Amino acid sequence: MGGFIDLYTEADTFLHRMDPRVKIVAVLLLSLLAFILSHLYLLLALLTFIFLLLFLARATISRTAFALKFVLRFMVLIIILWPIFDPTGTPVLASLGPIKITEPAVWRGVTSAARVGCLATVWYILMFTTSQRDLVRALVKMGVRFDFGLTLAISLRFLPTFGALIDSIKDAQRARGLELSKGGLLKRSKNYVAVLVPTIVSALRTADTLSLALQSRAYGARADRTYLRDLNMRPSDYVALAVLAAILVLPAFAKFVMQVDI
Amino acid sequence: MKALELNNVRFKYRDFQNWALDSVSLEVEKGEFVTILGCNGSGKSTLCLLTNGLIPHAIQGNLQGSVSVFGNNVGEQPVSQSATKVGIVFQEPESQLFCMSVEEEVAFGPENLAVPREEIKTRVEWALELVGMKGYNNRSPFSLSGGQKQRVAIAAALSMRPEMLVLDEPAYALDPVGRLGLYSVLRDLKEKHGMTVILAERDAEEALAFSDRFVLMKDGKLLESGPPRQVLRDPAKLREIGVAPPQVTEVASLLNTRMGTSKFSFLTVEEAERAILEEVLKPKKEGRR
Repeated sequence: MGGFIDLYTEADTFLHRMDPRVKIVAVLLLSLLAFILSHLYLLLALLTFIFLLLFLARATISRTAFALKFVLRFMVLIIILWPIFDPTGTPVLASLGPIKITEPAVWRGVTSAARVGCLATVWYILMFTTSQRDLVRALVKMGVRFDFGLTLAISLRFLPTFGALIDSIKDAQRARGLELSKGGLLKRSKNYVAVLVPTIVSALRTADTLSLALQSRAYGARADRTYLRDLNMRPSDYVALAVLAAILVLPAFAKFVMQVDI
Repeated sequence: MKALELNNVRFKYRDFQNWALDSVSLEVEKGEFVTILGCNGSGKSTLCLLTNGLIPHAIQGNLQGSVSVFGNNVGEQPVSQSATKVGIVFQEPESQLFCMSVEEEVAFGPENLAVPREEIKTRVEWALELVGMKGYNNRSPFSLSGGQKQRVAIAAALSMRPEMLVLDEPAYALDPVGRLGLYSVLRDLKEKHGMTVILAERDAEEALAFSDRFVLMKDGKLLESGPPRQVLRDPAKLREIGVAPPQVTEVASLLNTRMGTSKFSFLTVEEAERAILEEVLKPKKEGRR
């Protein structure tokens, strides 16, 4: 359960230590770069670079494979479907009735898949090296209102709670003879009502107490709220920012100003 | 100045017919440890919610009479202000902890009150140490046991440096080990820190040892209020309000009935042992058997 929701893994690498704000900016910049680059070999170079970062963050192969499993399926799907729906270009490799498979379309499919791979992996690095509390703190520090940050934090915090709640309600209903995995789609969704209703009731009750608890702890007492932990940019964070800026600015300059085809 | 003063308070929840609290008057002195005993629907939770102004500010209904905490009428100040005087701990450990780490949980109150960072750090360490959760700073509250969660909830209330702590059946969902840990924290709060505590309970056994006063409630009414020894003299009164009397006091009451006296009144096993030994070993002058 927890592995699905929280990808964060504790470790002491330079990526784990990096200021979460820098990491958020980095992820945005690298995502942008994945869109700017249009040549397959450049995208593959970017993907290699991202995987190098992942390796430096001490991500194990099994963990990464688990997290990126769905993305990989998606990439395979892109590679298969792209040439089918994109009949432009020559030479034609094969044709079946109205469907034409052309060589450029095959490469375009692979390129798009590589782009998706870059995007997914770079976001995975962020989630892998940054705890949820750091993420929320970074967002608030970057100007997101505290209420929104708190709402996000509470949602993330209660996901596993409700996950466990749903599991125990399912078990309780199964113990009374409810069959959740038998029958057609309609029957099954009908049976899930018996799980859904107690879950919603319980969630509402939790929300009720939660609001009382928030108020009891002086929530909203003052506008000039203080924070226990502050984020501080260290010299290495500025270096990382500069390197990132260079990585983005050079290709962007080449592509949009010098009109180089990259 | 009283820590808490309820003056002829009546409260009815919105859309409800009955008075959840009916003409309740109660005074709690500073430093006093008061245990409110009653079963479901006795009004003890309602009483707890009144102490920091959640009633009437967050929970609507018909409120009559006045509630003041350390001289301030809670109806006339926002909850966030009453919260600096009264810390409150609820029954459900799961729904009152909402941060991603224990440390943030305990820091949340003082952060809202704009306490300087260094001072928050000191308070977090102090509060965690007091409840025996030192070193758990970076753990997720979700990963803790029920008893640990309740102790973190107490720390989160204490970090605002309240003068009074109100606990609404904090041991309700806990296992025996969790209960023991919780009650030892409450005992420390009273004995080492002189904190004013109001504890709502449906079980008289554990709170007995360190309560200055027992208050019995039933159907929104305050039935009796006095030192545990006096209130427990007649265990039948507790059973009447749906609360199980402590076993030793039942022994005392049985002995009194059997021997036709009223001299037995003990609250702990040690006291009981001493009193019974004394009775057994004493020379039988009157020839009574």
